[in-house]
Amino acid sequence: MIDVIASEWLKLRSLRSNLYLLACSLAAVLACAGIAFMIGRGFDNQTPEERLAFPTNGDGLGNGIAVAYFVFALLGALAITSEHATGMIQPSLVAVPRRQVLLLAKIPGVAAVALVAGQVLAFAMHAASMAVLGDRAGQLLRAGVTLGTPLSEPGVLASVIVAGLSMAAVALIGLGVGAAVRSTPGALVVLTVLIVVLPVVARTLPMPLRARAGSFMIENLPLQIAGTGGGSLPPAVAAGLLIGYVVAALTAGATVIALRGRRIRALAIGVTTAVLVMAAPAVAADTPGAGAGALRWGGCADKDADKGADRGEGKGAGKGLVKDLRCASIAVPVDWSRPYGRKIELTVGLLPATGVHRRIGTVFAVPGGPGGSGVQDLSTNAGSFAELRDRFDVVSVEPRNTIDKGVLPYDCLVSGPWITWPETREEYAELGRRNRAAAERCRAADPEFFDHMDSASVARDMEAIRVALGEERLSFITNSYGSMPGIAYSRLFPERVRAMVFDGAANPYVDRARGRLPHEESFGRFAAWCARASTCALRGQDVGEVWRALVARADRVPVPVKGESPRAAYSGLDIKEAAAPSVISPGPAPDFPRWTQLAEAIARAVGGDASGFAGYVRQSTNSLKVPSFTGMNMTHCLDGMGLRDYDEYRELRRQGERLLPNLAGIELWHPLACVGWPVAATNPPAPLPAGKLPPYLAVGSWTDFGGGADLVRPIPGSGGVQYLGHGHGLYNAGNSCVIAHVNRYLISLRPAPMGTVCPGPAT
Amino acid sequence: MRYGRTVAVDDLTFTVKPGLVTGFLGPNGAGKSTTMRAVLGLEVPQAGEALVDGRAYVSLRRPMRTMGALLDAGAVHGGRTAHAHLACLARSNGIGAGRVSAVLEQVGLTAVANRRIRGFSLGMKQRLGIAMALLGDPATLMLDEPLNGLDPEGIRWLRGLLRSLAGEGRTVLLSSHLMNELALTADHVIVIGRGRLIADTATDALAGHFQGDVLVRASRPDRLAALMRERGAAVTAEDGGALSVRGLTAAEIGVLALSAGIALAELSPRAASLEEAFMRLTGDSTEFTGNKGVGR
Repeated sequence: MIDVIASEWLKLRSLRSNLYLLACSLAAVLACAGIAFMIGRGFDNQTPEERLAFPTNGDGLGNGIAVAYFVFALLGALAITSEHATGMIQPSLVAVPRRQVLLLAKIPGVAAVALVAGQVLAFAMHAASMAVLGDRAGQLLRAGVTLGTPLSEPGVLASVIVAGLSMAAVALIGLGVGAAVRSTPGALVVLTVLIVVLPVVARTLPMPLRARAGSFMIENLPLQIAGTGGGSLPPAVAAGLLIGYVVAALTAGATVIALRGRRIRALAIGVTTAVLVMAAPAVAADTPGAGAGALRWGGCADKDADKGADRGEGKGAGKGLVKDLRCASIAVPVDWSRPYGRKIELTVGLLPATGVHRRIGTVFAVPGGPGGSGVQDLSTNAGSFAELRDRFDVVSVEPRNTIDKGVLPYDCLVSGPWITWPETREEYAELGRRNRAAAERCRAADPEFFDHMDSASVARDMEAIRVALGEERLSFITNSYGSMPGIAYSRLFPERVRAMVFDGAANPYVDRARGRLPHEESFGRFAAWCARASTCALRGQDVGEVWRALVARADRVPVPVKGESPRAAYSGLDIKEAAAPSVISPGPAPDFPRWTQLAEAIARAVGGDASGFAGYVRQSTNSLKVPSFTGMNMTHCLDGMGLRDYDEYRELRRQGERLLPNLAGIELWHPLACVGWPVAATNPPAPLPAGKLPPYLAVGSWTDFGGGADLVRPIPGSGGVQYLGHGHGLYNAGNSCVIAHVNRYLISLRPAPMGTVCPGPAT
Repeated sequence: MRYGRTVAVDDLTFTVKPGLVTGFLGPNGAGKSTTMRAVLGLEVPQAGEALVDGRAYVSLRRPMRTMGALLDAGAVHGGRTAHAHLACLARSNGIGAGRVSAVLEQVGLTAVANRRIRGFSLGMKQRLGIAMALLGDPATLMLDEPLNGLDPEGIRWLRGLLRSLAGEGRTVLLSSHLMNELALTADHVIVIGRGRLIADTATDALAGHFQGDVLVRASRPDRLAALMRERGAAVTAEDGGALSVRGLTAAEIGVLALSAGIALAELSPRAASLEEAFMRLTGDSTEFTGNKGVGR
């Protein structure tokens, strides 16, 4: 056999035409470079936002691989069809009368040449693509990959090597087809269909079918084997399929040869093997992703269609839910310490993976609030998840602390007492009595449920959903206060966390006053803008001076709201609490409508009427002053947001007044709502098990990045991306740069290093 | 052995012996090539077997060392040099490169060893094919129409080569459809027609059957014809007063004419083609002519 192999190697080597043929494969490099050039040109003509939405050129091989395959397939086919065409097969069979031996002996030579040439070609194609793209290759895209992916990216080296290997596989497929067809033109036709026609046909199919059919095309197998994309098959299955194609083609060739020689033995074995190898991926490909577990997915009930107006949330109200959103119900114990006790039903939402690439897993989008509906958020922000869904199922939940669940009275939860600034022990105790009375009113309907609204219970619900999904591990994007269930989950189930993104995170560990320093910075920006802007009611004045004087006066004598009872009069703290959201969220440049509105309210309050504040506060809360929502407090207070006692309050207040010249007190607004709370904290802050966690990623804006950054800093390998602009909940809001960094991290598990920034809006 | 509904070789049994050059005779389409292909395993008979030294060719590990074969000298890849072509085949049977040069020398192709085969004449390809058969220094040689395309010098060379190989005790089988080609080369002939064995005998024994005639043009053809018939010759008249004579050699006819005082205008011995002889041998020509070409 060794002699025959050596002989076949000589045959391959001694034909100059084979060398010319290999030289033709350089056309593949040209194709890669040419298309990369076109991509680069198109890219340069786009706006920065449009560039982020560009499709990636990946490892750069895709544009030329069909050319390379064609050449290698021809090389393999000619190894046998040229013998038939010239009659050389006759002396060959005289020298080696065992036909299968003759065919098998051709394999090592063809494979060796194609292995070496394939590697050279694959790396040349990659290098050409990357070189032509140049610096543009490094542009991170919304899809979470760069425009051109260098070898240093995870899986790219593997995908290039496997692409080279696949060229050897294709050469063997060519050999098998050549042996089966026994004519060069016939082999050309078959190979053209396999390598060119079928992939083109697959690309013209409608979507779910296109992705499935595309996954089986030879040219898409290397990426799937490397696990970097290309289709929906797992690496082992894709590799099995590639081998299966080779075995099938060679079996076909061996079958025809055996039939010529009438030696049909061993034939059944080959055919059976081929069938088995081919059947395996087909079975594996049909294994569904999400929904493999215990959840039964169906349509979603649109609560907001009838309730949206009451909640006063314009977002998504009445517009219905996106059509590919699926919902399921899961029963969880009200009290996780009694797992067999009473159950409640939670609605789980799913935006299923598109099937374009192999599903990596499930991303759990943890809603903020506390009490926001993640299902509604998925629908409202479906556009933000579009690229992520090429690789993940995205799920979320209407958590137990959603206030419209119907177990506790909605009207009670959606309102709450006004918070006053206690100046004495007595006033502090009085605030406590008011808070407790308000809490008890809501609690009475279902004390057991009311007492288990902590973020740790929410985290355990998330774990139940993980189990129901049948996922080994979950990836998370937590939004705002969603960081609290995220933190609780990290503490309770660290080994179940594949990845965690904190977007605008609430941070239970950070010094309260220090955590509000970004608000002061934003106030500075507001004041600077206001002094110059023609639309600002305080133009030309020292806005800081005006503001501080107003607040100081209101703390002594509250500013009345014209036409309302004296109770509604705004204290300094009320003004700060009403202003704070506008300060950090000015609205779109260059008009900054909320800053404009705020300046008008300040100017009017300086004139003795707080109705400017009361007007927009009432619009969003149905209350003349910002109430401390019982629905939020029931989670806040159990999560340990409250104060130990009056002395701690005084100490923190002193610190705040020192650090926050303009906004002191807003950091104590939520804590003051927990004074006198009827239930003790059940989920107080506790350190993260940093050593057991994978690298995390914090993202956020000027005002909300710090909390998340502090959270992830102790976790080895973690990173952070700050958007140099205003905003809160950047991923949901569709910030392309943030989405690009988050998706890249979720795909590659490599977070952008701390200090990475996304440019703010052009001013 | 069948091709479609045509039986190419049927119930054909013979043995080729060492030390002799054996001719394998039959008209075109008689089944010579098919038989040889069956020996090499290129065709698989429905029944029966072909053995080389008692073994099936396809079961031999290095078959070229046991038997060298040439079927179709044109069946080569024109893109290889003569040397590369032989080297490829040699390597498959574990035959060293030195042997390649040796056989190229033996067949007289050394000068063109590194030229591509596509530029070779039929004769050069025939020599290359013979070189391939000789590569393994085999004890048995089987050559299909090796004399085709060779020039007279080449034919003489090949005859000498085959004789000397047989002289070394090797078994040599060569096919032809021309008796005269074989008459001077083969010690023994096997004759087949329509896939069946017709004769398996020493060449001399066949001489009578395959002797040619002599064409005679004489001044008095009737007189000469009568004289020759008296000597036991078979004489038939041909067009233009010529005579076809069998049973006498040209020399005997010349002496006879001289002694009778008859002038000869032409006296030419004509070799009988094997096909013609074969037809006479079987006494069945018309049907066969219709099957010409089948089985090659």
